Amino acid sequence: MIELIGLVKRFGDLTAVDGIDLTVHKGEFFGVLGPNAAGKTTTIRIIAGLIKPTAGCARVAGYDVQKDPLEARKRLAYVPDFPFLYDKLTPWEFMRFTGQLFQMSNADMENRAKELIERFHLAPYLTKPIEGLSHGTRQRVAIASALLHDPEVFVIDEPMVGLDPQHTRVVKDILKERSRNGMTVFLSTHQLSVAEEMADRIGIIHQGRLIAVGTRDQLRDRDGSGGALEETFLSLTSEAADPSGNRSPETRE
Amino acid sequence: MTSAPSAFRILLGVHRRQIWRAVLAIRDQSRLLTGLIGFFMIGYAALSFALFRTGLRFIGSFPGLGSVLTERLMFLLFAFLFFMLFFSNLVISYTNFFRHRETQFLMTMPIPFQTIFTFKCLESTLLASWAFLYLIAPLLAAYGLAHKVDWDFYFITVVLLTLFIFLPAFGAAWCAIHLARFLDRRRFQLLIVASSAALIIGAIFWLKPEPLSDDMLETRVLAVLDRLLEKTQFAQFPWLPSYWLSSGVLQWAEGARSTAAFFLLILLSNVLFFGFWTFTGTGQLFYAATSEVQSRGSALARWDGLRRWRERRAKFDFGARGIESLLVLFPWMSGDVRALVAKDIRMFWRDTAQWGQTLVLFGLLGVYVINLRHFSQQLTNPFWVHLVSYLNLGACSLNLATLTTRFVFPQFSLEGKRVWIIGLAPIGLPRVVQIKYRLATFASLGITITLMAVSCSMLKMSPDKTAFFLAAVSVMTLTLNAMALGLGTLYPNFKEDNPSKIVSGFGGTFCLILSFLYIVASVVLLATGSPWLRGMADHPWWTATAWAAQIALSICLGWIPYRLGMRKVAHFEL
Repeated sequence: MIELIGLVKRFGDLTAVDGIDLTVHKGEFFGVLGPNAAGKTTTIRIIAGLIKPTAGCARVAGYDVQKDPLEARKRLAYVPDFPFLYDKLTPWEFMRFTGQLFQMSNADMENRAKELIERFHLAPYLTKPIEGLSHGTRQRVAIASALLHDPEVFVIDEPMVGLDPQHTRVVKDILKERSRNGMTVFLSTHQLSVAEEMADRIGIIHQGRLIAVGTRDQLRDRDGSGGALEETFLSLTSEAADPSGNRSPETRE
Repeated sequence: MTSAPSAFRILLGVHRRQIWRAVLAIRDQSRLLTGLIGFFMIGYAALSFALFRTGLRFIGSFPGLGSVLTERLMFLLFAFLFFMLFFSNLVISYTNFFRHRETQFLMTMPIPFQTIFTFKCLESTLLASWAFLYLIAPLLAAYGLAHKVDWDFYFITVVLLTLFIFLPAFGAAWCAIHLARFLDRRRFQLLIVASSAALIIGAIFWLKPEPLSDDMLETRVLAVLDRLLEKTQFAQFPWLPSYWLSSGVLQWAEGARSTAAFFLLILLSNVLFFGFWTFTGTGQLFYAATSEVQSRGSALARWDGLRRWRERRAKFDFGARGIESLLVLFPWMSGDVRALVAKDIRMFWRDTAQWGQTLVLFGLLGVYVINLRHFSQQLTNPFWVHLVSYLNLGACSLNLATLTTRFVFPQFSLEGKRVWIIGLAPIGLPRVVQIKYRLATFASLGITITLMAVSCSMLKMSPDKTAFFLAAVSVMTLTLNAMALGLGTLYPNFKEDNPSKIVSGFGGTFCLILSFLYIVASVVLLATGSPWLRGMADHPWWTATAWAAQIALSICLGWIPYRLGMRKVAHFEL
C-alpha cells in the first residue's frame, strides 16, 4: 500500500505539493486527477523515490521511500508517461534485464513473461530492436516489463498515451485483475473516463493540494452536481482555485 | 535482496550488448560516412606519428638540450592532458549523472544508489578519456621509437595511462556532484565555458612569447632556454598526478625501472585511495544531488539578491525583449523576418553547446592569428609571408566549414516536426531558407572577415593584398554557407532533434567532404595564381584564369546546391 504523510515539495519559491495526506490500501485502484501543473507527477516522483520531499514522507508497502529505498523499490513498479527503454535491446532482452534486476529466476521470468507477452500482443516484436518500435509498442513493452516481477505497488503516469483502443483495453483489464489480486495501483491521468471506469477511489489534486478524495459517488455527492465526472472535476477545481489567479508557469506537475 | 555486484554485472552486460549492437549497426550506416571516419582515424594516427617522430628527432638533434626539451615537452603534454581530462570528465559526468534518462530509470529499480553512481562514474571515465588516449598514442609511439625502447615500455605506458585516467575522473565526479547541488544545468554550462576561457586567457598571458634579439639567440642560448623553461615549470609540480605519469614513462624509457615502478605505485595507491573513497561513500550524496537537480531549486536560488532579481525578471513584459528590441533597429526588416531571425538567434544562444563550440574553434584560431605578430620578425622572407597568408585563408575556411556543416547544415532539418509552423505561415518555406542563409552568412562573415583582417595586419600586408584576402574569404564564406544550407535542405532528416545526429547522415558527411575539397581547390587555385608570386606579374592571364576558376567553382558548389534546395522547398509537402 501507499502512505503519504504531510507530503510537501517546494521548488525554490514554488510549492508543488502542499501537505498531502493519503493512504491507498492494499489491492486498491486509486486514480489521481488534476489540471496541468497540479502536482500529480511530482507526487508520483516522490513515491517512486526520484526526488526527496521537502517535508513529510512517502511509504510504499510499509517502507519509507527515503529511509529504506531498496526495500520500497523492490515492491514497486513505476512507469512514467515516456518510459526509458534501451534502444538497441529487443523487448525480450529488456524484460529479462528488468527481471534480473529484481533477482527473478529464469523459470519465473519465462512463465510470467509468456502471459504478459500474449496479453500485450508482443510476440511479433520480441526479437526486434526497441529503437524501431512505435510509441504504443514501446509503451506496452514498458508496462509488461514493469509488471513482470509482480509488484505489490504499481505507479503509472498517463498509461494510455500512444495506445490504440485494443491495447488500452488490455492495460485496463490487466491492471484491474492485478488490483483484485492484491496489487495496489496508483494511476495518474487526464482521461476522466479512465479514472471513472477503473478507480475504486479518485483523488483530485489542485495547486499541490489534495482537494477531494472518494469514490465516484462520494465525489458526486460532495460536489452536488450529480452529473458526469467531468462536471464534478470542473466544479471542484474551480471551487478550489486560488483567487489570486493562475500558478506560475514554472509549476511542475 | 539484490547485491551490488550482481546488479553491476547486469548493467555491464546490458551496456556491452548495446555497444555491440551499435558497432554492428555500422554495417547499415552510410558507407561514405564509415569510410570517411576510418580514413580520418587512420590518417590522423599515421600523420601525427610521422610529425611527432620528425619533431622529436629535430628536438633531439640539439646537442645537450634535446633530452631536456623532450622531457619538458612530455611533462607539459601530460599536465595539459590532466586538465583536459578533468574538464572533459566534469562535463560528461554531470550529464551522465543528472541528465541521462537511464539514470532516472535505474533509480526506480532495486539497485543501490552507490552501484548506479559507480557504474555511471566508470562509464563517464571511458567516454571522457578514450579520445584523448587515441590522440596521444602516436606521440608515445614516436617517443618510444626515438628512444629505441624495449617492447615493455609500451606495456608499462598503457598501465600507467590506465591508472592515470581515473584520477581526473574521480575528481571530476566529486566536483560534478557538489556543483549539481548549487548550480542548475545552464549555470553549470556557463561556469564550464567561463572557466575554460579563463584558463585559456591565463595560459596566453603566462606563455606569451617574448621578443628575442638575434644576438641573444646566437650567443645566449642557455639563458633563453632557461627563460622558456621557467614558464613551463608548473608541469613539474610533484603533487600533480601528471608528474607521476610523466616521470614513470620517462624513467622507464631511460632504463631506471625501479624509479619508474615507484611512480607507478604512487599512481596505483592514489587510484586505490580515491577509488575507494568514490565508490563507497558517494551514493547518498549522489541521490541528494540528483534530487536537487530534479527539484530545480538550487542553493543559489535561496539567496535573497538572486531571488529579487528573478522576481524582477518574472514580471512578464508583453513588449519586445532582448534580441527583438535590437532587431527593431533594422527598420527594413519586415515583422515575420524579424521573428524568424530572433527565433534562430535565441535557439543558438540558449544551446550552450552551439556557441561554446563556435567560441572554442574561432577562439583558438584567433589566438593563433594574434600570435602571428610574435613571428613577424622571423617572417621576413616574402615567400613565407605569402605561404602563411594562404595557409591562414585555408585554416579560417576549414574552421568555417566545420561550423557550417555542424550548425548550418542541420538548420532546415531542425525545424523537424515543427516545420508545419513556418511551412504554413504566410512567409513560405523558400523565404525561410533564404533568411536562414542570410543570417548564417552575415554571422560567419563577421567572424571570418575580422580574423582575416587581423591576420593580414599581423603579417604587415599591403592594402591590395589585404583587400584580396578579404574578398577571397568572403566568397568562400558565401559559398560554404550556401553549400551547407542547400545540401541540408536537399537531405533533410526530420526525425532527429539532435543536430549532431542529423549531421552524421549521408548528407552531412557529403557536405563536409565537399566543403574540404572546395577549400583545398580554392586555396591551391588562388595561391598558384597569386599575382604576388615571383614571376607571376608576366603572366596575368594565369592569374585571371585561376581567379575565374575559383569563382566558377564557388558558383557550382554554392549556388547550385542552394538553388536545388530552394526548388525542393518550393514544392515541399508538409
